[in-house]
Amino acid sequence: MVLLRKIKERIKKIIPKSKEKKAKPATTAKPKKRVFGKAAVSKQKDAVLLGTQEVAVGKTKFSTPAPTKETRLIMEELPVSYGKDKIALQIRDTHWLHTYWEVTGQTFERLKHQLGIAFNGARMNLRVYDVSHIVFNGTNAHRFFDLDVGYANSWYVETAPGRSWCVDIGLLLASGEFIKIARSNIVYTPLDGPSSITDEEWMIPEEMFARLYGMGFGFGRTSPVGKAWQERMKQALFSGALASPGMASMASPVKKVPKQRKFWFWVNTELIVYGGTEPDAKVTVQGKEIPLRPDGTFSLRFALPDGKQVIPCKAVAADKLEEQTITPIVTRETK
Amino acid sequence: MNKGYLAIVLHGHLPFVRHPEHENFLEEDWLYEAITETYIPLIVVFENLVKDRVDFRLTMTLSPTLISMLTDGLLQERYLKHINRLIELAHKEVDRTRWQPEFNILANFYLGRFYQARNTFEKYHCNLINAFKLFQDLGKLEIITCGATHGYFPLMDVVKPSVRAQVKVAVSHYEKNFGRRPKGIWLPECGYNPGDDEILKESGIKYFFTDAHGLLHGTPRPKYGVFAPAYCKSGVACFARDLESSKQVWSSIEGYPGDYLYREFYRDIGFDLDFDYIKPYIHPDGIRISTGMKYFRISGRDDKLPYNPHLAQEKAAEHAGNFMFNRQKQVEYLYDLMGKKPIIISPYDAELYGHWWYEGPMWLDFLMRKVHFDQKTISMITPSEYLGDNPRNQVVTPSMSSWGWKGYSEMWLQGSNDWVYRHLHEASERMTELARQHSQNGSNGVMTRALNQALRELLLAQSSDWAFILGTGTHTEYAVKRTKEHLVRFTNLYEQVKANAIDEQWLADIEYKDNIFADIDYRVHQ
Repeated sequence: MVLLRKIKERIKKIIPKSKEKKAKPATTAKPKKRVFGKAAVSKQKDAVLLGTQEVAVGKTKFSTPAPTKETRLIMEELPVSYGKDKIALQIRDTHWLHTYWEVTGQTFERLKHQLGIAFNGARMNLRVYDVSHIVFNGTNAHRFFDLDVGYANSWYVETAPGRSWCVDIGLLLASGEFIKIARSNIVYTPLDGPSSITDEEWMIPEEMFARLYGMGFGFGRTSPVGKAWQERMKQALFSGALASPGMASMASPVKKVPKQRKFWFWVNTELIVYGGTEPDAKVTVQGKEIPLRPDGTFSLRFALPDGKQVIPCKAVAADKLEEQTITPIVTRETK
Repeated sequence: MNKGYLAIVLHGHLPFVRHPEHENFLEEDWLYEAITETYIPLIVVFENLVKDRVDFRLTMTLSPTLISMLTDGLLQERYLKHINRLIELAHKEVDRTRWQPEFNILANFYLGRFYQARNTFEKYHCNLINAFKLFQDLGKLEIITCGATHGYFPLMDVVKPSVRAQVKVAVSHYEKNFGRRPKGIWLPECGYNPGDDEILKESGIKYFFTDAHGLLHGTPRPKYGVFAPAYCKSGVACFARDLESSKQVWSSIEGYPGDYLYREFYRDIGFDLDFDYIKPYIHPDGIRISTGMKYFRISGRDDKLPYNPHLAQEKAAEHAGNFMFNRQKQVEYLYDLMGKKPIIISPYDAELYGHWWYEGPMWLDFLMRKVHFDQKTISMITPSEYLGDNPRNQVVTPSMSSWGWKGYSEMWLQGSNDWVYRHLHEASERMTELARQHSQNGSNGVMTRALNQALRELLLAQSSDWAFILGTGTHTEYAVKRTKEHLVRFTNLYEQVKANAIDEQWLADIEYKDNIFADIDYRVHQ
């Protein structure tokens, strides 16, 4: 959370002035600093499950090796605020929500004025409501909990699957009173297992469903025992026991530096054969005719493996009356 | 009589990358690589299957951004330059490897492949959409659409007009290119958010896909698991992925692509050869990139063996046979269990075939032939055909889900990329505001152009590819640049429209650069 806050604080530019700026390329010496770095990605990669190999392959679609050094446009930065009190709620997965908000300077001023001394003891507070199956009117949630969010403007909130949620951003006074500044939209966290609701018309025995469930997840035709099996399998699935470790087992370490670095080194040899003759002569090397430059010179490049290469080079004059052959012999061995 | 169906789905998508202002732009290579290694090889497979009278069925997404790039004159021209450069390189390689027979064979092999790529490209008048359309019109390929710029719908929950715009723009664009409306859609990243099916229905779409848990965790429980589709309350059908068949191709441990005889993706001459030699074929700034000429097989060890195309081909045939055998067994079992013919949905990224797994298209070719000639248990089918034969299905509300990492939205919503959403959502709200305010406008020249361009910029900013790249943490500069650039252009347009003072020169400039969706109508964003 601290990291998140630090990242938020780094976005500090004013709203761009539209008319004057044109999108002209400029030569900037160094590329923009990467503010939004690796964060939690590398940690989370270990808890790999569904979708990891797809991510690995997906990455190869974008297999550019390094950032281009090409000239960058003059870019205004994105605004840090939009001048409205607002809070939005999104779902990350079955248990986690993400929320971001903005509280305007004017609102703070107004509250400061209204609350007087009480303002000093107040904390920015995120109140998370479980509003499942009701029409929420602000007071009738099943339950709620508070999170002290300080100077942050976004947060990840841990909740539970299969419930509806709503959040308020506001001030929590020392007296315990909560003053709402803005209320979010309502979201519904997905279930983390099969629904307990079955359809009368499309009923199937528990056991058969368990079998189909497992097969859908790729477990073949093991013999199930209803609920217990579902539980076990569900746990295995979402705890990563069946996870494939991702790229590591497929990648060759040559151009990527893996985590446990092995010091690598390789050497290859090539041979350049070059020469010259009259520009209108014909030259063959090992029986194959090769092109000459306008000035009669040529240059050939070969990968040179271990072994002996015998390289007869023959030049024949344009009038075919004279010819010469020179045969370098090159041997390579590796100790 | 067959006992079940197999529906293979290939999802073809690349984000819109087109930089006319630069002679040579690194990220445009994504398209050229995919054309050479995936799209053309697949087209050649289809051609051969049709020629040999093999009846096959394949469902394929061609995302609107991919279609836009394949039909763009500038990119087509640049592709020809690209393939010609590769042909030149391959000629040089044939010479250079004269004393290394095992690599010389490969250099010749690649030379042949590059010539074939160029010939195929030219045969379809440099527009590969002609090829895909041909196979759809022949009834072998069912082409489905995707979000206009592959925006991720579950994270547009607070701005439904954007979901609507992504769908409507995609459907219009599809119609323009294929002469008919799409029957199905591949939701970007299979990102399903309950309720979005209503938006699909508005555009006449009949089906979409989710990952296995999308249906398995749906309400009520699906009677047939993932082996039959279910209707959402709106009547749009949901087909869910079968992970068993997926694993055989996707899994990095047990999947086919990891076989030691197959070509090693990471050993490319662009990286392996001497700099002075390879310089003309990598990026002009001297940055080494993949050329597509790779000489080694996976081998199962660091010290790699040379690639042998014949052995690899035999292995692909073996794997195709194995895949088919497993599907047969799976279908036979399910048929008995369900009392109904199951349908197995096997979706993959198209780029998996050819680009990542070089032998993929060959495997697909073998599979189609074996299914057609060697057995009767399973038939290949498209989702539309299945729904035509099986119109009665259970009604289920699928669960919010994706096929991304961990099955929900975390890939696109984590520390490295969550910052974008407050800006994207604000821009969406502003776009809706503009669309409503100007919904009665006639074609008032500049104002309409600015409004249309605003929607283009918004859609381009919404590409989930940017958040994905940020999430992977590698080479993120480009993704950050694109996100910010499009959002800033949008913001400028918004302010200019509000002030009724459009900078025409600047507008013309960004219309030229971000020229996707020529016929876009900003009013769809409501």
